[in-house]
Amino acid sequence: MRFGSSGMAYSNIVIAFLLIQSIVNGQEINFAEQVLPILENNCLHCHNQDESESGLRLDSRAYMLRGGDSGLAAIVPGEPGKSYLMEVITHADEDMAMPPDEDKLDEEDIDLIRQWIAQGANWPGQMDAVIKDDRLEHWSFQPVTRPDVPAGEASPVDAFLKKQLTASGLDFSAPAEPLALIRRASIVLTGLTPTPEETSEFLTAFQSDADKAYQALVDRLLASPQFGERFAQHWLDVIRWAETNGSESNMYRKKAWVYRDWVVQAFNDDKPYDRFLFEQIAGDTVGQGEATGYLVAGPHVPVATVGQELAARRQARADRMDEILQTVGASAMGITIGCARCHNHKFDPVTIKDYYSMSAVFQDIEFGSRIPELEGEDPRSKTGQEIETQIASFREQLREFGPWEEHWLAFREIHFEPVITSAVRLNALSKSIAIDEFEVFGVEEPGVNLALASRGTKLISPKEMFKIGKQRLEAINDGIYGTEKWSALQQKGSDEKPWVEFEFTQPHTIDLIRISSNREDFFETDYLDKINKGNLASYRIEIRDEDGKWKPVASTPQYKELDQQHKARVATLKKIRKLIQRNYREGFSPSFVGRLIEPQPTHVLGRGSPENPREQVFASGIEVLQGDLGVEPNAAGNQRRVAFASWLASEKHPLTARVAVNRIWHHIFGQGIVTTTSDFGLAGAKPVNQELLDSLAADFTDPVDAATEPWSVKSLVRKLVLSKAFRQSSQPDAAALRKDGTSSLLWRYPPKRVEAEVIRDSILRASGCLDSKIGGKSFRIHNVKKRYAQWRVVDNYGPETWRRMLYQERMRRVDDTLFTSFDFPDCGQVKAKRPVSTTPLQALSLMNSDFVIDQSSRIAKRALEIGDGNRGRAVEACFELLLGRSPTDDEKADCVAVLGDGDLSLVCRALINSNEFAFVP
Amino acid sequence: MTNPEKLSIQGRHLLNRRRFLGVAGLSTTGLALTSLLQSDGLLADEIKTVGGKTPIRPLINADKPYLSRQPHFETAAKQVLVIYLPGAVSHIDTFDYKPSLYKMHGKKPPGLPAVTFEGPSGNIAKPFWEFRARGESGKMVSDLLPHLAKHVDDFCFIHSMSTKTSAHPQGENFINSGFTMEGFPSFGAWVTYALGSENQDLPAFVAINDPRGLARSGKNNFGSGFLPAAFQGTDFSAKSPPNNLRRPASLSKASDRQTVDLLQRLNARHLGKYPGDADLAGRIASYELAGRMQMSVPDVMDLSGETQQTLEAYGVEGGSELRGQYARNCILARRLLEKGVRVVQLFNGSDPSGGNGITNWDSHSNIKKTHAMQAEIMDQPTAALFADLKQRGMLDNTLVVWASEFGRMPFLQANGTGRDHNPGAFTCFLAGAGVKSGHSYGESDEFGFKAAKDEVSVYDFNATLLHLMGLDHERLTFYHNGLERRLTDVHGHVVKDVLA
Repeated sequence: MRFGSSGMAYSNIVIAFLLIQSIVNGQEINFAEQVLPILENNCLHCHNQDESESGLRLDSRAYMLRGGDSGLAAIVPGEPGKSYLMEVITHADEDMAMPPDEDKLDEEDIDLIRQWIAQGANWPGQMDAVIKDDRLEHWSFQPVTRPDVPAGEASPVDAFLKKQLTASGLDFSAPAEPLALIRRASIVLTGLTPTPEETSEFLTAFQSDADKAYQALVDRLLASPQFGERFAQHWLDVIRWAETNGSESNMYRKKAWVYRDWVVQAFNDDKPYDRFLFEQIAGDTVGQGEATGYLVAGPHVPVATVGQELAARRQARADRMDEILQTVGASAMGITIGCARCHNHKFDPVTIKDYYSMSAVFQDIEFGSRIPELEGEDPRSKTGQEIETQIASFREQLREFGPWEEHWLAFREIHFEPVITSAVRLNALSKSIAIDEFEVFGVEEPGVNLALASRGTKLISPKEMFKIGKQRLEAINDGIYGTEKWSALQQKGSDEKPWVEFEFTQPHTIDLIRISSNREDFFETDYLDKINKGNLASYRIEIRDEDGKWKPVASTPQYKELDQQHKARVATLKKIRKLIQRNYREGFSPSFVGRLIEPQPTHVLGRGSPENPREQVFASGIEVLQGDLGVEPNAAGNQRRVAFASWLASEKHPLTARVAVNRIWHHIFGQGIVTTTSDFGLAGAKPVNQELLDSLAADFTDPVDAATEPWSVKSLVRKLVLSKAFRQSSQPDAAALRKDGTSSLLWRYPPKRVEAEVIRDSILRASGCLDSKIGGKSFRIHNVKKRYAQWRVVDNYGPETWRRMLYQERMRRVDDTLFTSFDFPDCGQVKAKRPVSTTPLQALSLMNSDFVIDQSSRIAKRALEIGDGNRGRAVEACFELLLGRSPTDDEKADCVAVLGDGDLSLVCRALINSNEFAFVP
Repeated sequence: MTNPEKLSIQGRHLLNRRRFLGVAGLSTTGLALTSLLQSDGLLADEIKTVGGKTPIRPLINADKPYLSRQPHFETAAKQVLVIYLPGAVSHIDTFDYKPSLYKMHGKKPPGLPAVTFEGPSGNIAKPFWEFRARGESGKMVSDLLPHLAKHVDDFCFIHSMSTKTSAHPQGENFINSGFTMEGFPSFGAWVTYALGSENQDLPAFVAINDPRGLARSGKNNFGSGFLPAAFQGTDFSAKSPPNNLRRPASLSKASDRQTVDLLQRLNARHLGKYPGDADLAGRIASYELAGRMQMSVPDVMDLSGETQQTLEAYGVEGGSELRGQYARNCILARRLLEKGVRVVQLFNGSDPSGGNGITNWDSHSNIKKTHAMQAEIMDQPTAALFADLKQRGMLDNTLVVWASEFGRMPFLQANGTGRDHNPGAFTCFLAGAGVKSGHSYGESDEFGFKAAKDEVSVYDFNATLLHLMGLDHERLTFYHNGLERRLTDVHGHVVKDVLA
């Protein structure tokens, strides 16, 4: 309310001023006699209580203040210039001219309305009217309460389910067979089918004490690192995280995988969910910089393919901000806030102003790389700091030999003795040169780039002297790294080589220059043919002395001479080079987890267009959900995100815990209590069992059991899988199916086809090939491509690929020629959950792919070893490895009848394709 | 049972599936996929889309997702062939005749922008090929496309197309999936989701990619987005079959048969334990369909039965190697349509990895050479495909669409020999079922810079294509993440004037 109250005071003054003015003019407008007739004759026909075209009503003052779907106030009392009504009746924009298809109102009438607004839009009897918004009554916007648990069941989960089942004339099914139980629990909790050893161990334990055995199984699975991998996969799905940009060049995002590893670790450490959210939004403030990969999980179009038109670039930035909001909205808030980008949300109480206020929260984020902030004790931090110290001491040794250049992989650093100057000049020593950014640093303010255009530094480089590429000179000091660069070429018949001067606003003592031709290439991408590895043409740097003469400070040929003169110099530079490389591998290195930039003012964009900026807005959550963040209007970007994350990850927020609990329920039972897992708004599904959902949400943030940590995902998961509902059989029942065809009331455990990852990983496990290494660089299945080519699958089944599919490089909209047909996400749009469809292409993939053929032979080979010459035993082993059970006599007979003594890999191929293998039992 | 009235807020309801099933009166078989496709239990007749209409949800049988389904209304077109030309064909050098360009040749363009997609703009350039009147309609077409020019009396041109992006990948996404961003269902996916297919042994929607590879937006041009994967375009061409179609070389036919036999027995026993489970039955059916596809796809790809006359007409021999390959793709397109495949999307161009103008229609420099090269590949085979469809009477129920993502500028790039991207005006044409012939709709301005009369947005274009397929673009929707999504977002008007 802080902004509201000061704004009110301001408008009161304006109104008072205008009133005085109109009284002076002696023209107080009478609403009923002068304004209402105009509205009645021209507007109210379409904008009334019954027919509110574009969501706009002009039959009451409160609705006028609110405005229609556009989100723009029809009237702002005292301010005709800010009143959208004035804009449309004056036909300021031909596309939005009112009344439609009719003549413009008389100038006289327009003027009356203008004056009426200027005088405060006095509407007798309605000055205090407010609109009651029914939408705020929606269930999910109400605080979470803790319903009483019905009696009769040990677990509250079962108690709430049982109540509803009984009301529908249903009951739980019998407990599942132990074989089904271990398979189900293993797939659901780790994404892997159990090994034969795990199965037989469990069966033995189950016979002596079923409950104890099952609890021990659940504890083992929750403690295994595969739990984090499984739940990370779910989370990455929702936010459509991928390791490429998408769009034309679809370039690889270097080291984006550090975020994936962070998520795996977070689930394995059972990081409290509120903390989990907080760090993904503002982890840079608490030494968890890798977590912000979340914000840049979505696709983006790099500037090189957006084109040169400024409007297109503004649009691209707005699109990138939208991707961030979609991620946050769909994964954490359960509100489709993207719907409010162009106009007020059609269904939910989210206004276009809310949308842009939330966009203001993330204005310091740009899609790109930075060195992630790490905790002090992180080994990489320590290594990085050590290396920095060592480099600093080597530099001291170098000083005596004159200037030197360090190759920092993506850029060069030129070091020289401090010198006072007001201008620097870069001379190419070859015919052509290309520079994406030229930075100058001084001793007064280390780390501050003095060459930036935004600091007033002027560029001089006469265009007519050189042939300039299609890119601009200004790119050289605009602070933007990458493909946008200054490129210049010596003219034919001229001996003038390209040069550029940087003129500071005042003299500085400088000692360091950083220069590169395409820093983005090394920092942000990989696996490209002809990637720029810090290439640079030879150059000479000069400074202008007090007499206005240019004096050289460093040059490429000079380094060579100095190297020849001083052996020690060469050796020290070599050491520095090695340290730089080690730093990249083991210390500080840029990762694609978002670049931090200076936030620009945020405006509401009328109809979603950056070409139509409206009122300025400031960081805030959704207004009607107590979204005031209490930050200063121009707070630093990270402070805005900290405040937003704290608002979102609060136990008081009505949506956050409900959305989290429901999503986990969805992963455990195959369908959410709210089936629209990312939409808890008015257009989403109602909860099948709201008491159950609220009970779980309440206990999630504030556990009754003192031993349970608040926001603990593992505790929640344990509670769900220990329930009777999870442990019951999945057998169909004709009578129950008629009442509840999709088992949404959980009278049985609903069977479901497993995801692509489960199929692939379980096959690899059955053959004994699976490398269970956690985390690290993704394994590759694609080629090294040309910049504007499509990725091509090179090898999706060889030994290099025998890791869990979570670690397969995740390329946006690239067909992996194997699992894309299994509804593996294309990572284009947010996916609240994966669809499960059945297509013949899935059958072809599992029957004929190199992967399955190769793995079938390997499983068969393993089975033959187990059989040790006994064919019957080997057949049994195939079933055990893939299905976790021995074949029945009938199935053994089938194998003999079809195959005789034939190729055992065919049995494996058939089992891999069987329904039993493909479904959670 | 919950009373729907109580669920209702602002006329939108969600019903749980039990009630839906009760209403629809379906048996349990086929439930799983059907209910999935009902989008989380949202019942169509209780939802209003933005246009105020209720969605029409196709009832999809899990066992047979490609079973033919009724359109929203009767229409001539049962199938559609989309010929897509990535890179942006120059409308002013092909079908959009602009005499003013000759008058203004070499001059600064009056009132035209100083900077376009690739940078500063240069002077107006007249068409690089001469225009002349063709057919009975006297339609002016340039010499770049002599073969297509012979058929202008059958075409319905739209000269007032405009798009909202000047970047290729976003432009491709926009015209092929209705959104500039990625991850939305393609036109073909929407059509097969709504209508299924006439042939159960072939994929319902085939994307025949260019011999040079996928276009810039790759799979997004024929992907299923958030629709189930069953409706994505299957990617194959005359020279490369779908992934994993063929029995692996290491397996004999007998071994393959043995696997299938064993699998059938295993699945039958398993199904016995879960009687009436639709998901399991559906998956068994999908293996049977896959088996039939293994026969029918090689069969349709086998061009050996085509006559010498056909091969010659399509230009399989006698031109560039690329023309030969594209010509074979054109023959494949006809064969697929003959078999009843619902949507065939035929690409003439790929991503730009070969360099400017080498792999698609993009022509920033030396347009004279690069457009000529693309035209040599495209013109004769496409014209022959059209003539073939006509001669076989297939145009009576096949809609043909020829489209690019945008046009090219009337002026050259500064100091250049090519034309930059022009999102403001371009030309597409329609032909065949349900479409006027020998007709031109809309106009661009005197330089072909912007749509001037009867502007047709990409939304309008797609709304019209769906209409021609018997589908109401405002009622063909799918619930995704809070919205009833449409191919046309919240826009689009059917261009009535092009309808026969």
